[in-house]
Amino acid sequence: MTAQVWAVILAAFLASTVEFVEAFTIVLVVGVTINWRSAFAGTLAAVGALAICVATFGTALVVFVPLAALRFVIGLLLVLFGLKWLKKAILRYAGLKALHDEEAIYEEHLAEMRARGEAPPARLNPFGVLTSFKSVLLEGLEVAFIVITFGIQANADNHSTQFNGIALAALGAAAALLLVVAAGALIRAPLQRVPENTLKYVVGIMLTSFGTFWGGEGLGITWWQSDLFLLVLVAFYLAVTGALILWLRPFAPPKAAARKKALGQPAEEVAG
Amino acid sequence: MKPIMNALKATYYFFAGDAILLVAVLLAFGLATLLAHVSAPNVLVAVIFIALIVGGLTLTLGRELRGRKRGG
Repeated sequence: MTAQVWAVILAAFLASTVEFVEAFTIVLVVGVTINWRSAFAGTLAAVGALAICVATFGTALVVFVPLAALRFVIGLLLVLFGLKWLKKAILRYAGLKALHDEEAIYEEHLAEMRARGEAPPARLNPFGVLTSFKSVLLEGLEVAFIVITFGIQANADNHSTQFNGIALAALGAAAALLLVVAAGALIRAPLQRVPENTLKYVVGIMLTSFGTFWGGEGLGITWWQSDLFLLVLVAFYLAVTGALILWLRPFAPPKAAARKKALGQPAEEVAG
Repeated sequence: MKPIMNALKATYYFFAGDAILLVAVLLAFGLATLLAHVSAPNVLVAVIFIALIVGGLTLTLGRELRGRKRGG
């Protein structure tokens, strides 16, 4: 397998891990407060909808859109997507934005569900099914987008008829889903230890680098050393974002003030 | 009209969610297309293309910083 194939699988795997961890927290709340049958039904329905989405759009795009236009559009969307992820990750690393706290989100949703005051039913509960369906679908849409774009581009670079880039990218996403489900089943608590921000940062770097590379090819840019220039782009974006984090870090509020803001209490009380 | 606006808004938030990033990336791709069209040197197109992408990220982070400073 070529380096680009591994990159496709890895990008889909890492992006999916972040999104599935976030979706898992809500599914867990539904399982604990309503019942596991509803939680699993909603999850399965959403995974099915996402698979149909990937298969339909993936095939349609490959068949109907010319390769040069596809490269241009995929590059543009990947750069946009990558920068969006990078911005969030940089702000979190710099301390200007709170880290994603799965435990807090879990507690908040748990309280909301319990406030409904319904006794947990044994059979399928429409609210539970819908809640887990919605969370998995919304988080999974970004994964579907990454699977489609990376898969199509890998197809374009590999002319073998045996090769299916979308299937490979979907394999990466499926591996992430299995890993998150297995870890969740084992721990039976929100997956707090997953380094979500680091994963987000790595995926942001990958999306931006690949988007720049493929978008540039779509524009007609001939990259120096061809595919190897991808590594130069990755190193360049790592250096630039590292510098941006160092630039922003001194402006982060002190930890006590940040905690005060989060708790809505006066600073003196928290510090004391 | 409202459903169309909602769909457009959802698409915007899904792909960008940030006006500066959106404008910078569109500008990067637009300007690079134009330069490639007039047969500008390959290096120049590549440098301008990447510089605009990095510029967009730097600008939006700068705006976040200014907003936080004003907000205290």
